[in-house]
This record gives sequence, C-alpha cells and structure tokens, in this order.
Amino acid sequence: MPTEPIAPAPPGAAAITLAGVGYAPPGHPPILAGIDWTVPAGAFHALLGRSGCGKTTLLKLTAGLLPPGTGTVCLEGRAPQGPAEGVGFVFQTPTLLDWSTALENVLLPLSLRRGPRRGGRDRALALLDGLGLGSLAGRYPRQLSGGQQARVAIARALVDSPRVLLLDEPFSSLDALTREALQEDLAALCARDGVTALLVTHDIAEAVFLADRVVLMAAGRITGEVTVDLPHPRPPGIRYDPGFNARCRVLREALDRA
Amino acid sequence: MIHRLTHLLLLVALLGGWELACRLVPLPELVLPRPGRVAAVLAEELAGGRLLRHMAVTAGEMVMGLAAGAAFALPVGALLAESPALRRLAHPYLVASQVVPKLALAPLFLLWFGFGMRSIIVITALVCFFPLLENTVTGLGRVDASRLELFRMLRANRWQTLLRLRLPTGLPVILAGFRVAVVLALVGAVVGEFIMGREGLGAAVMAAQGMMDTALMFALLLAIAALGSAAYQGALLAERLILSERFDS
Repeated sequence: MPTEPIAPAPPGAAAITLAGVGYAPPGHPPILAGIDWTVPAGAFHALLGRSGCGKTTLLKLTAGLLPPGTGTVCLEGRAPQGPAEGVGFVFQTPTLLDWSTALENVLLPLSLRRGPRRGGRDRALALLDGLGLGSLAGRYPRQLSGGQQARVAIARALVDSPRVLLLDEPFSSLDALTREALQEDLAALCARDGVTALLVTHDIAEAVFLADRVVLMAAGRITGEVTVDLPHPRPPGIRYDPGFNARCRVLREALDRA
Repeated sequence: MIHRLTHLLLLVALLGGWELACRLVPLPELVLPRPGRVAAVLAEELAGGRLLRHMAVTAGEMVMGLAAGAAFALPVGALLAESPALRRLAHPYLVASQVVPKLALAPLFLLWFGFGMRSIIVITALVCFFPLLENTVTGLGRVDASRLELFRMLRANRWQTLLRLRLPTGLPVILAGFRVAVVLALVGAVVGEFIMGREGLGAAVMAAQGMMDTALMFALLLAIAALGSAAYQGALLAERLILSERFDS
C-alpha cells in the first residue's frame, strides 16, 4: 500500500483540508458533493448529522480508506494515497481482536509497524491505566464490558501517538453514563497530546461537549457550522449549564432547518 | 456417570443380542461368527503382534496422507481466499476433481507411483484435500469488513493481514476441516490398501476374505473402528487445546 508520512504541523496550521470533495460509489448517485472544510492543528471538530447523511463516508475519505471521487483530501499539507502514518481511527464498534488481550490489542498498531517501537509497552500500559483499565490489561475482549472495550479501542488509536484522530460514532452503542465518562476521558487525552480530532456523531450534546466547532451535514452536503465557544477543559457539570443547553438548542434548530 | 453406564449397557445389550441370535439361528460361521469367536480372534491377533503392525501401517499412511493433503490444501486455500478471481477460475476444476471417485484413479496411481504405500498416501492426501481446502477458504474469508478496515488503517500488508487477522479468525473453521479430514484419511488409507496394499488393515481385510476367515474380518473391522475413533478424539482434543482460552467464547 503506498504511504506517505505526514509531517507535524505547527499549531494553527491546517491539519485536515478537504477541498471540493465528492464521492459516489460505482454505479450509484453521489453520497457526498462539494465538501470544503479545514480543521486547524490541535482543534477538535465534530461532524453532526442524521443517519445516512454521508458523515461516515466523509470520515473514511479523510482517513484514506476511500479514494475521493472529486476534489482533494490533504493531511498536514500532503494528499496521501491511502491511510497515512500518524492518523488514528476509532470505529463505530470496538473491533478488537477476540484472541488478543486488552494490552495486545492496544499494542497492535505498533506490532504491525516495522521500525522502532521502544517503550510501546509502557505507553500502552500508561494509556490503559489512564482510562481506568490498568488492572484489566491481561483480559480478553469477551471478559470486558462494552464501555471497557470502547476504552481499549481508544487506547489502541492513541498508542502510536497520532497527530490526527478520526472517530466514527465511537460511543453510540454505550449507555448514557458510560458515554459521558468516555467523552471526558477522550477530551482530556486529546488536549494533553495536542491531537487534532474529527468526530462523527449524531448526538448533539456529545458534539457540544467535545468540539470547538460543529459542522452540520445533511444529504451529503455541509449545511452549516457552529462554533462552540465554551472554555476548555470542560467539567462534567457543564452539561447542566444554561450556556451548554443554549448551544445544544442552536444546533438542534439548525439540524431541523437542514 | 449415568451417561457412561447407559453406553455400557447398550454395548452389552448389542453384543448379547448378537450372541443370542447366533445361538438361536444356526448360521454358518462363514456368514456371521459369534462375538465370542471374534473376541478370541482379536485377542489372538493382538497377542501375535500382527494386528498392531497392520494398525501402525494404516495409521502411518493416514498421518502422511493428511500431512501431504494439508501441505497443499492450506496454501492453495489461502491463495484462493486472497484472490476471488483465482477462486472463480479454479472452482470448476476443483469440483471436477472431486466428483471423480478417488478409487477410479487407483489404476493411474499404480502406473505412476507403483504398488504400495506411495500410491496409498497419494489417494489419502487427495481424499483429505477437498474438505481442508473448502474450510480454509471459508475460514479465511470469514473476517468482517470493519476489522479489515482496521488493518488497512494500520497499514498492514497482505501477509500481516493473513497471519494476524484472517488466520486466527478462521482457525476454528480450519480445525473443523481437519476433524473431518482425519476420518476421511482413514477411509482413504483403508480403501487404498484394499487395492494396492501389501500391509495395513485394508490389505489384511482382503487377505482374510481370501482365506474365508469371517471372524478375522470382523476383528479387523473393529480395529479400523478403534483407529478411526482414536484419530477423531485426538483431533478433537488437539482442537480444544489450540482453541483454549484465547478462542473460548
């Protein structure tokens, strides 16, 4: 598979640039058309829209899992052919390997990569510890709850120190309490490492809690964008703040108009 | 415990019924010998060491045939699982090779590999080949799309994807194919020996028929059943050991 490493970008420079991106599966009408979007380095953006509006397709195009039909996808100034180095991806389901322990699952990206990987084990254990799974590193996925599996998947996406993290509704199958706890962990990890994140979600509160900027999508197009000007770090209690709810409402109304 | 007792009772009832039928209906021993007589012959053959030698020969052919069949079926299966185009191309030939009875190939093998063990191993390998191939292709193709996407995202090459994802995912199916192939290997070896064996259980059955020694034939059939059961249980045990813990669901 052709690969091009992406170089670290200075803060504020564009980490992800989509220019005129469109996609149509062979023999089908287009799913996406005319997408222009930029995510600055270190920013956390969310793609919000109803099911089937093309969010996941847009994320896969950004990841290099799909080639764009039209336009270009640039990661830190380069247009890689296929998945690039330095990009982590969290899928809708944890997609853990059933026959590997939590620790082995987290180490998977490093063990598949040729080249230096010193200190990988320590980093993986530190990530699991930070996500509250320190004592469960030796367990197999079937011995973990859904929330714990989702945490392992996040640790796996972060173990190779990605500069860009793409997340495809990673918490959609979890209960509300677990989901909120994971959102808080994710926000802290991304802020700590200065990771540029693009999150696909249909959960308005999730988008407002995590993102600096929310892009609204409907029928394969960007229909609007809203800046979430709440300060970081956002405490869990912010969810009950009138300002938080006001922003959720703005997004809800924008979604209804789209 | 009760389960085992029921098994034992059924065995005793079957043997008792057989013994009783032979005493009530005076059938010549050539047609149906009494179980007692079969047991006596079995003990005699075991004590003489002849039976164990035949069993060892047949078991050896099974193992070598299975190994040869697997040596071809696993790589070919992996190749076909990796390439749908190749699979479509090869499929009619593979099916054609399976509908030809292996026995019908025996004269050809006699010509190519000579009379004896080599031809028998080739027949055994051919009999094992198809279930192993089918299960390898099915097993390696079982992996779901999201895990394949994960490996693409992690920029794994084809070889890594095969060894680290497809093989462990398909292992239970591939091992189930081995379980089937082990039993078929015995069929292949014994039938091969019928036609071109000097030694082994199949050759011994043919010799016993030539001598019109029906009790010996029964004793040999029991030995074949015992060998087959042992091989099956062995395969089952190996499967459990390999799949233990990591694959336990």
